[in-house]
Amino acid sequence: MKKLLVLFTALTFAALPATPVFANDAYGNGPGCGLGGDLFKGNKAILHQVLASTTNGTMGLQSFGITSGTIGCTNNGQFASNGHATMFADLNFENLSQEMAQGGGEHLASLATLMGVPAEQQPAFFAMTQEKYAALIQSGETTPTALLKALHETMAAHPVLAKVSLVR
Amino acid sequence: MFLGGSRFQCRGPRFFFRLSSGLPRHLVQTACLLLVITAFAPGVAAEPSDPVYLSELIRRATDVKLADSREWHALLHYRPNFFGGITSEQDGLTFFLSPDGKTNPQAELEATLTGFFSDNLIGEAKQPISCAFVARYAWLKEQLAFDDRRLPPKDCERFHNWMQGLNPRSITLIFPSAFMNNPASMFGHSLFRVDRQDQTPQTRILAYTINFMAEVPDDEGIMFAVRGIAGGYKGNFSAIPYYLKVKEYRDIENRDIWEYRLNLTDAQVRRMLMHVWEMGNASFDYFFFRENCSYQLLPLLEVANPAWRLTDQFTWWTLPGDTVRLLTKQPGVVGDAVYRPARTTQIRRRYQRLSDDERGLLGRIMGDASLVRDPAFQQLPVERRALLLDIASDYLRYQSVKDDKRAESYKSRDRDVLIARSELKVKSDDTPSEPFVTRPELGHRTSRIGVGAGYRQDEWFEEVSFRTVYHDLLDPEIGYAPGYQIELLSGAFRHYEKQNQTRLERFTLANVMSLTPADALFLSPSWKVNVGMQTLRHNGCRYCSAGVANGGAGLTFETHLLKREYFFGFGELETTYSRAFEEKHRAGGGGTLGMMADLTDRWRLLASASYLRFALGEKSDEVRWSVGQRYTLAKDAALRFEFNHRERRDNEALFTIHAYF
Repeated sequence: MKKLLVLFTALTFAALPATPVFANDAYGNGPGCGLGGDLFKGNKAILHQVLASTTNGTMGLQSFGITSGTIGCTNNGQFASNGHATMFADLNFENLSQEMAQGGGEHLASLATLMGVPAEQQPAFFAMTQEKYAALIQSGETTPTALLKALHETMAAHPVLAKVSLVR
Repeated sequence: MFLGGSRFQCRGPRFFFRLSSGLPRHLVQTACLLLVITAFAPGVAAEPSDPVYLSELIRRATDVKLADSREWHALLHYRPNFFGGITSEQDGLTFFLSPDGKTNPQAELEATLTGFFSDNLIGEAKQPISCAFVARYAWLKEQLAFDDRRLPPKDCERFHNWMQGLNPRSITLIFPSAFMNNPASMFGHSLFRVDRQDQTPQTRILAYTINFMAEVPDDEGIMFAVRGIAGGYKGNFSAIPYYLKVKEYRDIENRDIWEYRLNLTDAQVRRMLMHVWEMGNASFDYFFFRENCSYQLLPLLEVANPAWRLTDQFTWWTLPGDTVRLLTKQPGVVGDAVYRPARTTQIRRRYQRLSDDERGLLGRIMGDASLVRDPAFQQLPVERRALLLDIASDYLRYQSVKDDKRAESYKSRDRDVLIARSELKVKSDDTPSEPFVTRPELGHRTSRIGVGAGYRQDEWFEEVSFRTVYHDLLDPEIGYAPGYQIELLSGAFRHYEKQNQTRLERFTLANVMSLTPADALFLSPSWKVNVGMQTLRHNGCRYCSAGVANGGAGLTFETHLLKREYFFGFGELETTYSRAFEEKHRAGGGGTLGMMADLTDRWRLLASASYLRFALGEKSDEVRWSVGQRYTLAKDAALRFEFNHRERRDNEALFTIHAYF
């Protein structure tokens, strides 16, 4: 944890001067979208450290402030649609990889919901992730975006789910 | 980029606010000044927009004494203070619009009304005052029937986006059970989950939580305890997605989670969430024992329904389990409870269902996943194979969290197991895992008094005992984890008949013990720490006060010969300070062997024997043994009979009746 803190502090201060007029921009893309907007431009390893820190409850909390957190971060539409699915896939990759192999589970159902898979198609979606598990997980281990892309591509080739995928 | 952004976002506005922390106060003063000016020069100043209407509203609010109403006090977190006045528990600078807001409800009300007429943007999120304090606005608007033409409502876009993002239907109280390995979580935790309109049981994890937590810097060490108890940290509300909380409690800390659906009306849910939005501009000094994570949820409920009086119930400390208990006592408030097992609970429950052969296979596969090709495994029915692989994956994950150094090795084995699992086209067994610990609110209350009588060193005595919190091994177990003991600030006064002496017989600062059964899967150590004062007989001193510190580590094994038995052994160190000893102290080490057995649901036996040899101070040794029995009379009443042997001829028998409150 100590190392993390040092890393955090160093990067925070490194980022500060580069960030323009923060206070004035607050209403727009300032503290409005704590994790939403900038999340995936970042380095995956750092993101995981953020998660590690939020999960022991000592840091990263501010990303989830009441008026400055991720909720309602819909101004630019990012967080509402694909952004949320990508963030969810990244923060829950381990549970997703397990549930994909098992052919179901609440994380997988939640991801399907965020991806816009209707409830009645979800069993087919679960079966698909189990069927194509090895290939999907290989993409997933690179980036969450790659996992979602692979899921969409696999759906596009699926007799039932192709429609859902096209709707997106 | 993200990191810079995020940390900047959290530090930036805070920093900004520290620089301008006087801003709202300033605004108000300016506004008041302008009010005075405009009274003399109507039509000159722009602020407030309609001073005549403002003074009318203030007059009407004053006439009906709105500032004294329960609703206003709930919204501003006002509580009666020790000096007969009123103080708000909110400690931040951006929450009050009046400089006297913390202690003066009327001034705050006037400043709030004044603020509604201003176009200034306040707080981290740069909102108009009626948006930043949207619950105050809604309530005052309702009470005073604001005329929208003379006080035009502001467009609270951010707040509306936020509400839409939450898409709320109901509120659930989340109670992650106690976590022995972190002092800050020893009594459990509690938070709210805002359930969504479009939520199914499968997508509950997407809901947001409302969570109150202290901001604790890293590596605080011992200062953590001091500052945590004395209110040295700032506490804030945050809205963390529930999936992150599930990950934290279920997957990383291995704590069971209870989810209690609260029966609130739509209007109550909305009122509460409007107030939560206001909490974005609030901060509270965090007091570990009372104004803690659990306590700070109660004012939110009081805003939802001002008729509930919840915070009044807690004077000195607030334990998460007590808040759950308090809520279940309000008729109709708590709906159904849902249990979410910790990862380790799930592993243990599923493991119990395996045959010896299957357990052997499981162990071998976890060591080498390629053994799934082994005929012994292949011949099992496909559901059993899936079950075995599911346990294996959970266990390897548990190990990868626990054992940082070999995490990669566990993760790669888990990957192999999951690939094998994906080849079995069956769904996982979804038999719910039964909890090992019953629902916390069903347990005894946490404070205890006792009245007892007994015989020690050839004389009778009577005693009165007390304990502030929480649970010891002989207390009724329902609602508490077995083998889990935390006693803080407990003690007993005793009157010895022959000596005609009344004395503080014992006092415990902290007596903590964790007996965790070790088995094939989990080899967790057991440990204990006890610091306090005892009465002992030594050398010429018949009843001598002694300060004692004892700590040890060991192992526990569980059997089911009768109902359930724990056998434990500890190696330990002890140091004692007393005038009974030469050089006034002795220090040494030794060991304890013991057994805890449930003979029936109500009757428990706890026996232990210790040998200690003291090499420092007064060189000596001691054999102690004790047998204790408890019989549960009711949820909050129990009988106890104890026999203790300490030094030669220092035998004591004690019979006590305990009441929990």
